[in-house]
Amino acid sequence: MYRKQVRRRRAALVLLIVGSFALLSVTYGQGSDGVQRGVATIFSPIQSVADRALKPARDLVNWFDETFDAKGKNDRLHTELEEARKEAVGAKSALAENAQLRKLVGLDESGAIPSGYEKVTGRVITRSPTVWFSDVTIDVGSGDGVAVGDPVVTGDGLVGHVSAVAGGSSKVTLIADHSSPVAAKIVPNGAQGILKPSVGDPGDMVLEYLDTEKIVGKGQSVVTSGWRGEGIESRYPPNLPIGKVVEAAITEQEAQHQVHVQPYADLRNLDLVQVLTGGSRG
Amino acid sequence: MILTPNILARLVAIVVVGVLLQLGFFSQVAFFHVSPDVLPSLVVVLGLLGGTLTGAVCGFSVGLLLDCLLIVPLGGASLVLIAVGYLAGLFRERFEIHSPLVPPLLCMGLTLFAELGFGAVELMLGLNDATVSPLVIRDLLLKSIFAFFLGWAIYALLRRVLRPALVEEPGARRRPRPQAARPGRRRRPRMMGA
Repeated sequence: MYRKQVRRRRAALVLLIVGSFALLSVTYGQGSDGVQRGVATIFSPIQSVADRALKPARDLVNWFDETFDAKGKNDRLHTELEEARKEAVGAKSALAENAQLRKLVGLDESGAIPSGYEKVTGRVITRSPTVWFSDVTIDVGSGDGVAVGDPVVTGDGLVGHVSAVAGGSSKVTLIADHSSPVAAKIVPNGAQGILKPSVGDPGDMVLEYLDTEKIVGKGQSVVTSGWRGEGIESRYPPNLPIGKVVEAAITEQEAQHQVHVQPYADLRNLDLVQVLTGGSRG
Repeated sequence: MILTPNILARLVAIVVVGVLLQLGFFSQVAFFHVSPDVLPSLVVVLGLLGGTLTGAVCGFSVGLLLDCLLIVPLGGASLVLIAVGYLAGLFRERFEIHSPLVPPLLCMGLTLFAELGFGAVELMLGLNDATVSPLVIRDLLLKSIFAFFLGWAIYALLRRVLRPALVEEPGARRRPRPQAARPGRRRRPRMMGA
């Protein structure tokens, strides 16, 4: 009897593992299939409601984290944060949201976003729990005009691109994901390269394959290059701000043709983002 | 674990609420710049309470729902969480849980295992030529430490929720108390989980 039970359990385990491998083989590289789109469509309203309901709790927890961080850094900041504790969490989150929206409008007015793009504002509703890939889900989808490949920005700059869409939600692969290199150039000297992330550290990216004749300096800005070739073109439109050069050792530039870049956008704490839909690159 | 339609419904609700809470809350809060991962702990606790089969099936379900909602290739997270649930169940079937520290310690160890497993699956699917930051180690260790505390809470909560299904669990059946205990009558030993 016991042996039969053990055999049954092992058979179930083997079945589950084979099922997982089969699913992995079938769905890898396919983008979103019908089942996923269906599940995402069913759950996105629930997620959206849960996201709004849990926002004050999240803000509270994040506030504690920031407080701990500030304590170690600066006593003055500590005092300010003590005062900030008295403020209502709801009011704080509303102010933060307002600031983010203002920044989004600011990026638009600065001319960084090329003409011909429709801007769709969305809110991050879920985030990948592991450090190995950097994806977020936002609450706008194909029903809002969002399509696969659309660039996604915040008021600070580029954050990623849409890699899958469902009716009311989309998956955004961040520029910190290893599968998402960005063709970029340095402003003002024009040196071009490929910006790649460092897995596990979204604050450090490496701009590789730089032209060594153009010396890059610390503090220079990095924007999307938006190149077009014969039949192929970059995923992003030109001149979207990405970040600034934070480490540009001459030896590293000459030997490895690379510099280190810190993104302008805070990729760990995304809330409101803007999807650039349409555009000339279709 | 005695599986009745009522208990099955509770398990489904636990899985769905767990995944939604992870994606909507835990993934978006940070302690020391690291977000806690509650799902391996959830699967470990279900494995500890229900055994190998329950652990593996719950691991598979949690992984599948997670992959569906994140719109990533299906099966990757399931593969890792099946192993986590099965190992937790195997532990329960082989050893007695004598100390209240055992579930949180198992959550801690198996969360580290799961995070490494997610990395291995990602390598299998192709990590391209991206560099891996040493900060990944800090993230993995902190996630495991968070899992210790989360595991404690989840174990206490789920034992209450699934109490009617737990074999030999004190208070599982509401029997009328005898008027007076007979002298010399031995009480049955209490077991956790089983």
